[in-house]
Amino acid sequence: MGDDTRADQPAISCRGVWQVFGPNAKSKLKAALAASGGESQSAADTLREDGLIPAVQDATFDVKRGELFVIMGLSGSGKSTIVRCISRLIEPTGGAIDIDGQSILDASKAQMIELRRRKLGMVFQHFGLFPHMSVAENVAFPLKMQGQGKRDRLKRAHEVIGLVGLEGRETAYPRELSGGQRQRVGIARSLAVNPDIWFLDEPFSALDPLIRRQLQDEFIKIQATLKKSIIFITHDIAEALKIADRIAIMRDGRIVQIGTPTEIVLKPVDDYVREFSKDVVKGRHARISSVLRPLSEAPDNMPDDPGIRQDMTLEEALAACISLYQPVPVHDADGKIIGVVHPSDLSAALQVDEA
Amino acid sequence: MSAPTVAQDTAHGGIHLTTGAKAALVVLIIGALCMALAPVWPWLVKYPAGWALPASDWIGAALEWLLNLIKPVARFFSRALAYPMEWANILFNGIPWPLSIGLVTALGWYVGGWSLASLSFLGLSFVVSSGYWDESMNTLSLVAVSVPLALLFGGGLGILANEVPRVRNAVQTLMDVMQTVPTFAYLTPLLLLFGFGPVVGLIASAIYAAPPMARNVMLGLERVESDVKEAAIMSGGTRMQQLFLVEIPSASQQIMVGVNQCLMAALSMVIIAAVIGGFNDIGWEVLLTMRKAQFGQALLAGLVIVVFAIVIDRISGQMAEDRQRHSKRISGAIIAVAGVIAIVFWSRLPEPASLTLLQPTADWVDSGLSAFTVANGSALDGLKNGAMFYGLLPLRIGLDGAVLPFTWGFQWTFGMSLVLFGAAAALGAVLALRGNIAAGIMLVIAAGVIETGIADLPWPFVLVGAGAIGWVAGGRKLAQFAVLMLLAVLLSGLWDKALLSLYLSGAAVLTCAVFGGAIGLVCAMSPLAWRFVRPICDMLQTIPLFVFLIPVLMFFQIGEFSAFLAICFYAIVPMIRYTRHGLVTVPDELIEAAVSSGATSWQTMVEVRAPYAAPTILLGLNQTILYAFAMLVIAALIGTTGLGQSIYLALSQADVGLGITSGACMAILALVADRLVQGFATERRKALGL
Repeated sequence: MGDDTRADQPAISCRGVWQVFGPNAKSKLKAALAASGGESQSAADTLREDGLIPAVQDATFDVKRGELFVIMGLSGSGKSTIVRCISRLIEPTGGAIDIDGQSILDASKAQMIELRRRKLGMVFQHFGLFPHMSVAENVAFPLKMQGQGKRDRLKRAHEVIGLVGLEGRETAYPRELSGGQRQRVGIARSLAVNPDIWFLDEPFSALDPLIRRQLQDEFIKIQATLKKSIIFITHDIAEALKIADRIAIMRDGRIVQIGTPTEIVLKPVDDYVREFSKDVVKGRHARISSVLRPLSEAPDNMPDDPGIRQDMTLEEALAACISLYQPVPVHDADGKIIGVVHPSDLSAALQVDEA
Repeated sequence: MSAPTVAQDTAHGGIHLTTGAKAALVVLIIGALCMALAPVWPWLVKYPAGWALPASDWIGAALEWLLNLIKPVARFFSRALAYPMEWANILFNGIPWPLSIGLVTALGWYVGGWSLASLSFLGLSFVVSSGYWDESMNTLSLVAVSVPLALLFGGGLGILANEVPRVRNAVQTLMDVMQTVPTFAYLTPLLLLFGFGPVVGLIASAIYAAPPMARNVMLGLERVESDVKEAAIMSGGTRMQQLFLVEIPSASQQIMVGVNQCLMAALSMVIIAAVIGGFNDIGWEVLLTMRKAQFGQALLAGLVIVVFAIVIDRISGQMAEDRQRHSKRISGAIIAVAGVIAIVFWSRLPEPASLTLLQPTADWVDSGLSAFTVANGSALDGLKNGAMFYGLLPLRIGLDGAVLPFTWGFQWTFGMSLVLFGAAAALGAVLALRGNIAAGIMLVIAAGVIETGIADLPWPFVLVGAGAIGWVAGGRKLAQFAVLMLLAVLLSGLWDKALLSLYLSGAAVLTCAVFGGAIGLVCAMSPLAWRFVRPICDMLQTIPLFVFLIPVLMFFQIGEFSAFLAICFYAIVPMIRYTRHGLVTVPDELIEAAVSSGATSWQTMVEVRAPYAAPTILLGLNQTILYAFAMLVIAALIGTTGLGQSIYLALSQADVGLGITSGACMAILALVADRLVQGFATERRKALGL
């Protein structure tokens, strides 16, 4: 993999990726696609009737450099399978996957090993810690695979262990740690080689809610400094909305919607997506821009200016103007008025799907 | 066996010895002292006969008194058992053979459909055409009486242990003893009690077959979900209702596994019991033909046993697997057709004994074999002698005794000993410097053992060594257990024989560990290899112990090497199975974590799979050890020295004291080995947090 990567090139690019489980999956997929004229849904139905399991159907998306891309879906929707295809822990049945513009499906076994040693990091739902190794040995494991000397790799391990806040537990064994601490080790291990691309497969799902929130906050902090290109798998919509730059929602192996958190919450493409966002407090995730009206609609006289800014969430904005009945101005970061918002629009937006 | 490597902290200057290193050091010092002082105090090496207690005489006298006391009861029991045996005999021999084949085939169909029906049909047809039908039916009638006894006894024990928690431990110990004391050993007192005859074999096989039933009943009842039990209680059932209406049916699958194991154990034992003779069964036929060196016939009779074992195992095993049953109508039709054939040809049915369809084949095999062994005699002898002179003999009497001009081409000298120890010490020092002190010391100890030979090891060294291993594996209690148990063997006066048994089983276990481990590894890495090896493993595990003697005897005659081979063939299976199983069942996430860290498949194997599988592999080793001890006694039939020989001797002389004492010593060796390896496995599992 060369370093001649352009800044605008996506870190990861998936084009029509299929993962079909069952005997002779490859040829059967080809046949089904040919029969359906490339139409993926009917091809998947054909495969299902044939007794095969299309776990991922025609997945197409890009992950930009430094982007935190969340794949969200219920268990069995194929989200973990996608990430395993991209890391080639399993062989995709069809499609194309590029990492930094290089096709990884054409990479040899040795190239793949090299790629994993240098460029990829992965965190697992149940941590995947080696029970016979201490914390430091676990974290240093990828470096050992690179062939680094013991002293160097333990030094680097120590650094990363510090990054996740586990200083002093280097000689402990996984069995002596709490769930939250174990996942910190998992995160440290995946960061040991300083990878460009970071896969996290439901990293916080096995943790208690309190610990989960704490780790999410720390994760956001770590990402703010490291700026990795990330694919983050979760089944928790609140988690997805909290951390994501963009979210892909999966159902039965298909990606049904890709969008920013606001788009997902306020413009769900179908009932399935709507069902997810039903339980979230929309005001916390949608921004004011979604209900912004142009300045031309402003009344001549706006008596009140509660100081609403464009980047406020609906909830924050509503709190500021809850007692008002007239449209109020909305400012951008510099304080310039860029539009107006009607308080009744705010409450209406929050009510949208409750009925 | 490597000591547990606790994270070493040498940062503070001093060297911190791990438990393993300390234990190894103590053993090394004791061993060196024994070697150094041996010229002055020869009793250090060879335990003086005068110091031993006449244990076997005492035990013999006490047992004989006791046996005479209960003899009338036993004799009555024996007469009582003779009736069902006779009925079974009449039944099995009375049914015309086409009907028997039809009944078994119908059962095969009902339980397992097409494949089991054809297996049953082909298997029994083979038996008929072998001419051993009558003998087989005699064996089966023994099994048919002993299995219900074992099921009742074992099932009762299991339920008792489940119901009365206080006796649980006692029952466990009783079962350990019943299974580890070699079967030959309790044939002797049984002979005395029940008198000469097939009843002895029947009772021995019932005793031997009861523990697997009891264990599975206990396990099954224990595993019934607490929700299910509580639902039974809340429904207002009495304890008996809870047990028989809910818990036992819920555990039925596990209990059927017990029935399957019970059947196999009974069959195996009934055949072994043929050595006491007096009953014209198939085991006796094997023994007879083997003694006459008619290996073609022995092989044929052995195959008949194997066929029975496989048919019984597959049918009862399938029953345990709770699949849906096949059509009763077709089963009925098969029986009807068989019945019609039996009636129509009633008068013209050939006597099964006169059927000698396969006898020409057997004769042909026999002569072929003779020709083969004559033609390749030198190669076979070369193989045998090579293994003896360069492998077994040095292990037994040490390099200093085994290296002779006659075999190795030169004489072992004191200087060579020095070189050996020097090399071991140098290598050990390298290991110690690289942080593995325990392994370094053990290397030196191993050099000492090879130089001395297992049979000539000084007894203080063996005791301290076992204690040290116990200490590392499970702490003080286990160390005490190991030392006290071995001390009992030492005092019994059978120490020398025990060491000989230890040597032969040790050599076999070592071989099995290396080859079985390697095969297991290959099978773990290549599913194709496993597809090939698996049926062989299944086969080897179904074959009754006794049959293993036939092929080794054909090629290598009576002797230690044949015994060694027979033990290896039998004992290697668990090592293969457990190694593969352990390596394959590592959780996916761990493998993925390793792969996504950029590990190659070999690195994954060495760094992740192998350490994770260690406890499972140790359990396999444990099974291999127990299998080796079980086979050791059977192998005494074809010439081994040691405890097995004593047990066999006692049987032929009806010497109860010697038989029981040797049997107890053998059981002690097996138990100590079992506990030590289990200790390591538990320790490893704890270390992995499993």
